[in-house]
Amino acid sequence: MEEENIEAMILRIEHKSKKIENLLKQSKPVEALKTALEVSPTNTKDERCKSANWIVVHRAMMAIRDVDGMFSSLDPEYYDILMKYLYRGLATGDRPTCDQCLRIHEKLTEKAGLGCILRSLADTVNTV
Amino acid sequence: MPAVEVHQLAQCITCHAWSPDRTMVALCPNNAEVHIYKFTMDKWERVHVLFKHDQIISGIDWSLRSNKIVTASHDRNSYVWNHEGSEWVPTLVILRLNRAALCVQWSPKENKFAVGSGAKTVCICYYEPENNWWVSKLIRKRHDSSVTSVAWHPDNIFLATTSTDGKCRVFSTFIKGVDTKDSGTSSSRDLKFGEQIVQLDLSSSWSFGVKWSPSGNTLAYAGHNSTVYFVEDVRNSPSAHNVAYRNLPLRDLLFVSERMVIGVGFDCNPMVFTKDDTGLWSFAKFLEERKTAQSNSKYGSQFSEAFGKLYGQSRHGANDGVDSLRARGIAHENTITCIIPLQKEGDKIVRRFSSSGLDGKVVIWELDYNTDIPE
Repeated sequence: MEEENIEAMILRIEHKSKKIENLLKQSKPVEALKTALEVSPTNTKDERCKSANWIVVHRAMMAIRDVDGMFSSLDPEYYDILMKYLYRGLATGDRPTCDQCLRIHEKLTEKAGLGCILRSLADTVNTV
Repeated sequence: MPAVEVHQLAQCITCHAWSPDRTMVALCPNNAEVHIYKFTMDKWERVHVLFKHDQIISGIDWSLRSNKIVTASHDRNSYVWNHEGSEWVPTLVILRLNRAALCVQWSPKENKFAVGSGAKTVCICYYEPENNWWVSKLIRKRHDSSVTSVAWHPDNIFLATTSTDGKCRVFSTFIKGVDTKDSGTSSSRDLKFGEQIVQLDLSSSWSFGVKWSPSGNTLAYAGHNSTVYFVEDVRNSPSAHNVAYRNLPLRDLLFVSERMVIGVGFDCNPMVFTKDDTGLWSFAKFLEERKTAQSNSKYGSQFSEAFGKLYGQSRHGANDGVDSLRARGIAHENTITCIIPLQKEGDKIVRRFSSSGLDGKVVIWELDYNTDIPE
């Protein structure tokens, strides 16, 4: 049962990935990021799902050029999950990824406050 | 200004409680003593020191009608203090714990008190007149971690707890011979001692500061993930409402009325939550206005304060952090850990309350009579 769920999830992430590529071609990076963040596999322990989704989120995140512009069209419901992925990005230690994460982190903290950081750090059940 | 009195009574206060007539305050200055201060001749005077515990006192409660003080300490024991003559006489309560006691509260009828502990248990203590002795009955194997706070339902039977396993639970504490069958509970079925009524699994991190609304219909508690949880209709069909906010987590809550809650915690400034006509809870405002609320520099200044503390006073001056908090016009200069109501008996709305915290201050707050408090 669990195995089937994981397969379904991987399929869904692959589908998401294609959709994101299309959105990026149409130069809609914020839409792509929203798509990437939607239905993220947070409550599973399966590392494969998490990595697959992180690759998709990373792809969309790196395509963001105008961070201020992004926040004018990103709804607050995405803030908490985005923060979790920012910390995952910072954990990679990869220079361009970290640069981008820090840029977004600064603006996100301004928007969503320290509470958002606390929620992403304190949550040990729904991890990304 | 909602903060009407600020009293620096110690370096750090773990908890405090007021005498029934509100003229005296009992507090623990972060050691094994309870200090009782009385307001005389326009200054606070220390009138009693209760010293019997071996370790830090983590909970104090002063009963309104029977004028007894109960204390709970990390030394795993409780004392019930009776005022006899001019002295406070302690009675040891053996809680039968193997870890620290963390919180304590008298039941509304004051015939029982509850102690939450680090041993994953809750002790319900009641008096046995035959033996002149407080007996401790344990609720065991229900919590997966330390019990951080306890709250009595107005019916004197139900007890809510929060724990560092993230859950909030409600238990029956019915004790034969102490409680009578008709004492409060409207539910027809017999409730045994220690029976779990409901378990709320809303927070994925530590939870703190559980409180019942004055009617006992709504339950509120704070998560360490900057979220506060409101649960309506706990007994029949619980419905939860989470409020995530943008500031640091809360440690303790207080129902001012059925539809207004004050939360205190790591942000040093009490927060107000209200319930609107549609039944939705939301963050309303800070109790104290932040004077320099420039959003750009705000976090920067908080970080530099922290750095100032880390890298010593040589670079930044001794009271750098404190000064900037003062400049912001905030009564508390550190985390607030405890908030206590100060209403007169029979008042429906709590307009006066006090808070204490790691900065060693007891602050008394008063809500303006012209501010609108939803009942």
